Amino acid sequence: MVNKKDMQRVEEFLWEIPKSFRSDMRVPARIYADDALLEAALQDRSVEQLINTACLPGVVKYVLAMPDIHQGYGPPIGGVAAMGVKDGVISPGAVGYDINCGVRLLRSNLEAAQIKPLIDELMDTLYNTVPSGVGRGGDVHLSGRDMDKVLEEGVPWLVSRGYGRTEDVTYCEERGALAGARASAVSSKAKKRGSDQLGTLGAGNHFVEVGEVVEVFDENAAQQFGVFVGQAVVWIHSGSRGLGHQVCTDYVGALQRAVSKYGIRLADRELVCAPVNSPEGQEYMAAMACAANYAWANRQLLMHRAREVLEQVLAPRFGNVGLRLVYDIAHNIAKTEEFTIDGSRVKLVVHRKGATRSFGPGNRALPADYIEVGQPVLVPGDMGTASYLLAGTTGAAEKSFSSTCHGAGRVMSRGAATRKMHGREVQQQLQAQGIAVRGPWKGLAEEAPHAYKDIDRVVNVVHKAGLARKVARMVPLGVMKG
Amino acid sequence: MTGRFEQVEHTADLALRVFAESLDELFATAASAMFSQLADLTRVVATSQVQVVLEAPGAESLLVDWLNELLYLHETRGEVYTEFTFDELSRRRLRATVCGGKAAQTYTIIKAATYHDLSIREAHDGLVATIVFDV
Repeated sequence: MVNKKDMQRVEEFLWEIPKSFRSDMRVPARIYADDALLEAALQDRSVEQLINTACLPGVVKYVLAMPDIHQGYGPPIGGVAAMGVKDGVISPGAVGYDINCGVRLLRSNLEAAQIKPLIDELMDTLYNTVPSGVGRGGDVHLSGRDMDKVLEEGVPWLVSRGYGRTEDVTYCEERGALAGARASAVSSKAKKRGSDQLGTLGAGNHFVEVGEVVEVFDENAAQQFGVFVGQAVVWIHSGSRGLGHQVCTDYVGALQRAVSKYGIRLADRELVCAPVNSPEGQEYMAAMACAANYAWANRQLLMHRAREVLEQVLAPRFGNVGLRLVYDIAHNIAKTEEFTIDGSRVKLVVHRKGATRSFGPGNRALPADYIEVGQPVLVPGDMGTASYLLAGTTGAAEKSFSSTCHGAGRVMSRGAATRKMHGREVQQQLQAQGIAVRGPWKGLAEEAPHAYKDIDRVVNVVHKAGLARKVARMVPLGVMKG
Repeated sequence: MTGRFEQVEHTADLALRVFAESLDELFATAASAMFSQLADLTRVVATSQVQVVLEAPGAESLLVDWLNELLYLHETRGEVYTEFTFDELSRRRLRATVCGGKAAQTYTIIKAATYHDLSIREAHDGLVATIVFDV
């Protein structure tokens, strides 16, 4: 069991557990948190899980946890681990079952004040139109050939078929298609699970939210991103659905044999892995990229439907809604990126599980009109509080392998949340705050605001620690859960 | 069947502890426990029958593979399973017939059974297993 006395305070919001804490640690473990968030992290096994991650072969410099850290399986949620390409490992558990669970933010031409009187109609139409919830299939059924196209070509393929605009590709991380995707690395089971799920929201903490920009902290960045105070915006949070879940299941199972083959000792079987440069490791990375592309295509299709709904409901009254993609980010993924380590540029495989990339100004991987200001970082909160748009920082490269938090992070089990308050009461409370909520009672109970950390506190930590800088704060007007 | 289960608190996911007198009962109870979290099983009419054949390096891996196979069938066939008959069940191999049908109400999505905290151990009156599911 880890205690606060086992940690050293490196900076105001940065704590470190030295690698001497446990004999199998290869690097220190660092946690970005204020005192309250650190105390919360010590209540479950998240810090122990972070320490287990520090034992993986080839791990570089330190493993990290973001202030929204909470217990997961394998690494904690909010965990970041970077491995050398030559001697490091790739771990499906350090990516997660929902490969490329992520979020996109859309801006509009409209003021929130214009749409508030119509929010119930808007949310009803979204809830009835956007496929969501358990057992609900999508409107786009993929043939075998089409499935392989989605897996290997992602958003650009979907746009070429009429589901979106060319600019949607530009404003998506990796331009909506991670390189190295190979459809043959994905099992027929995974493809079958995903065949009728493209364009579906899923359930749990996935959502579509209509919100309002209530505060801007960085006028220049806000202008570059196209957001302004009082603006109506839309958030979409979803992932790779059953296809991604099956890819992770397949490879977590397959790599159980690989660890014996490569002599890797694991502190947790869910951290199962293979050398990046092994056939098994390369096969997983090819499959992971496919699942990531499926997730981006999924959010693209969800956005396409949301655009149709907003046009249908709002355009007759207000004209051009102008719903445009600000950016789309992944927060469960492994990427090959370059960093400076001990004065040399090296390629690392960065695992982010419940963590978001945060590229700073000057990074050529960004859309041309964002290079000067940095990457948009999207951090959704719970459905009753707020969400944030931030911008990446150059300092994050050295501090956190260009990583930052992904959301509010849970503080309460789903069972405890369900026992605390019925979903109907959650809906009523949010309604009283002026938030129109649509979703199943069980899901609403599990996702109630009291089940989550304070998003303002989490974001303030990453802002003050220099991992990302605040650009705008947004509040929900309407939320639909699957 | 004397098998039973209980939920274990977990911040973000679903953890179950399963008690049974035998390996057959353990696998059947774990499956029933998982499906009880997924859907209302009270009025399921067993209209469908599926054969499941699996091999794994050990009993714990076999248990995870079993539950994940059932999740795959659930999601692709739209069914939940309530009856489990094992023609063969050892620590490394399983041959089973599962019966089930459509559920009137489905509660949630389970992404997968995980290896996290996975264990099957002997207790004074049988076997105890813990499984964490990603939801």
